[in-house]
Amino acid sequence: MQSNSTLDLIVGLFVLVGLAAIAYLSLQVGGLEVGAGEKIVLRATFDDIGGLSVRAPVRIAGVKIGQVSAIDLDDDLRAEVALEVESNLDLSIDSSAAIRTSGLLGDQFISVELGGEDEVLVDGEEFAFTESALSLDKLIGRFVHDAGVDD
Amino acid sequence: MVSDSDARFIEIENVRLAFGSRRVFDSLDCRLRKGGTHLLLGGSGTGKSTMLRMIGGLQRPDSGEVRVAGENLASKSESELGEIRKGIGMLFQNGALLDSMSVADNVGLPLREHTKQSRDEIHERVAEVLRSVGLLADVEPLLPRELSGGMLRRVAFARAIVMQPEIVLCDEPFSGLDPLNVTRIEELLMTLNRELGLTIVVTSHHMASSLRMADQMILLRDGGCITGTPEELADHDDADVKEFLGEDGRAYLARLHELQDRGEA
Amino acid sequence: MTALVRQLGSTTSRLIEGLGRIGNFALALTAALPKPPTRFGFFIRALYDAGVLSVALICLSGFTVGMVLGLQLYTTLTRFGAEEGLGAVVGLSLVRELGPVVTGLLVTGRAGSAITAEIGAMKATEQLDGLRMMAINPIHFVAMPRALALTVAMPLLNALFIVFSIAGAYAIGVSLQGLDGGVFLSGLESAVRFTDDVDQSLLKSLVFGMLLGLVATYKGHACQPDAAGVARATTSTVVTASVCILLADYVITALWSV
Repeated sequence: MQSNSTLDLIVGLFVLVGLAAIAYLSLQVGGLEVGAGEKIVLRATFDDIGGLSVRAPVRIAGVKIGQVSAIDLDDDLRAEVALEVESNLDLSIDSSAAIRTSGLLGDQFISVELGGEDEVLVDGEEFAFTESALSLDKLIGRFVHDAGVDD
Repeated sequence: MVSDSDARFIEIENVRLAFGSRRVFDSLDCRLRKGGTHLLLGGSGTGKSTMLRMIGGLQRPDSGEVRVAGENLASKSESELGEIRKGIGMLFQNGALLDSMSVADNVGLPLREHTKQSRDEIHERVAEVLRSVGLLADVEPLLPRELSGGMLRRVAFARAIVMQPEIVLCDEPFSGLDPLNVTRIEELLMTLNRELGLTIVVTSHHMASSLRMADQMILLRDGGCITGTPEELADHDDADVKEFLGEDGRAYLARLHELQDRGEA
Repeated sequence: MTALVRQLGSTTSRLIEGLGRIGNFALALTAALPKPPTRFGFFIRALYDAGVLSVALICLSGFTVGMVLGLQLYTTLTRFGAEEGLGAVVGLSLVRELGPVVTGLLVTGRAGSAITAEIGAMKATEQLDGLRMMAINPIHFVAMPRALALTVAMPLLNALFIVFSIAGAYAIGVSLQGLDGGVFLSGLESAVRFTDDVDQSLLKSLVFGMLLGLVATYKGHACQPDAAGVARATTSTVVTASVCILLADYVITALWSV
């Protein structure tokens, strides 16, 4: 079989360029994390998750450390959210998880604030302190109601 | 005396075949003995090529059996047929060489696929078989489209015999060739038959070479066939045979025998 | 009345027969996958013919489509005061739909038809029979490398198309419309995710490549062995493969959101 080495070279180049394009789209544009570290799953229970959805980011000080992996109802019919975060973080057991909105009308995410204890949360443990989502319409309703009461 | 299995080396029994509404064969019966040169003759559309293809397993009959060395081809799977085909070499009318590969690669293809021979051994064998068909090594790098009709035929021939098959099937090997190349191919076939004992089956329009070469002539007509040696057919009563062989045919045969008797042919 | 029913019956049975034949062919193709070293050269050659020779077309089309997208979407987004979302909208529409589908259709027209014509011509000149007589399976030898090449080339070409389209939209948005380049890119990067967007795109292009590979090689193998037959088969490949790609696009999109 005639093996044309120029042909092989060109085809190899084509494959490399194509793979580079795929890599660009996956990593740079798509934000795929390669060789990401180990993850652990922590739980947090809320009265109201608002518009939080699966794959919403989990942030500390605005930096993404993981994402919401599952949302379920627990036995008390409160929302139980599973958070997949990097394992090397050492979050103290009195840390809190709050549902915040990005910007004024943006997507919702989980904001974690560190506590002061020495002991850290391990895989499977639950956040002791949580803060439910602020519902904008409830806020407005209360404002209007309060304003009305004042009159 | 020829053994029974040799006499029925290639056997076609009660074959029926139709393409849509066109009936090609109707209870076709034929026996080809081992080591003979058999000519399939007949007008256009009588099914010469189809019969050849049936012997190669490329065409299955609607009913009946096509047996090669006792094996019924119609009942075989493609891979089983593959095993049988390793002992058959086929020369197609237009060569059927792979047009993207050189002469050397084309002729060496069966060796590369089915044997464990080294590159050099294959190269050797290819050169050898090209020589035997009268071609020099300088054709090896050429592509099929760069070859003349005669050269193309001979390369295809080389490919057909490179694996040293027992049976060689040729579809119109003489058509479109000048007399010199016709003689060349004829001599090649005769050599393969006489010296190596190969069984040759050829379809042809070419009367003269058919008469010269054939041990058995098989004239296809009306969905069946009439067989016999050239001499038998020359004396045959059948109107079709008479018409096919013609005055020229008989005269030619007579002349041929005359020359043979005098030791000149 | 009975004639109509009979016609319906025969058409249905022919359709099922046809599906069965192409199904058998597909099985034979997959069976041919573990291939000896000699075939690799054919695969490389086929990858060159299907992939490399399509690059110019894909890049040019990609850039043009990107420019059109940039133009169209920008004017529409301006109506809602959302011009800054250009990167996001362009990115999402390209990655999820336009990239794989347009690439699929372009490659069908260019490489798919060429492959059917090539194999059909080989059938018409008895080359496939010649292979059979040498105890070589033509599906392994001729069809498999080409079908595999189309499967491999499609995701690569899809990615190239998308990248060039993004470049085209960027060029239009930034240079012509005065959009800030950084805003375009950050909008693009935050909207498009690997999971659900890029991976869907890659899966789609892979599936489209496989479908085209199957259809193009099958039609070549099954065509009538004469010039008219080859021509018919070539047209048929383009039509059938295009329809299959569009249908598959819907199926994958629908199933993905389940």
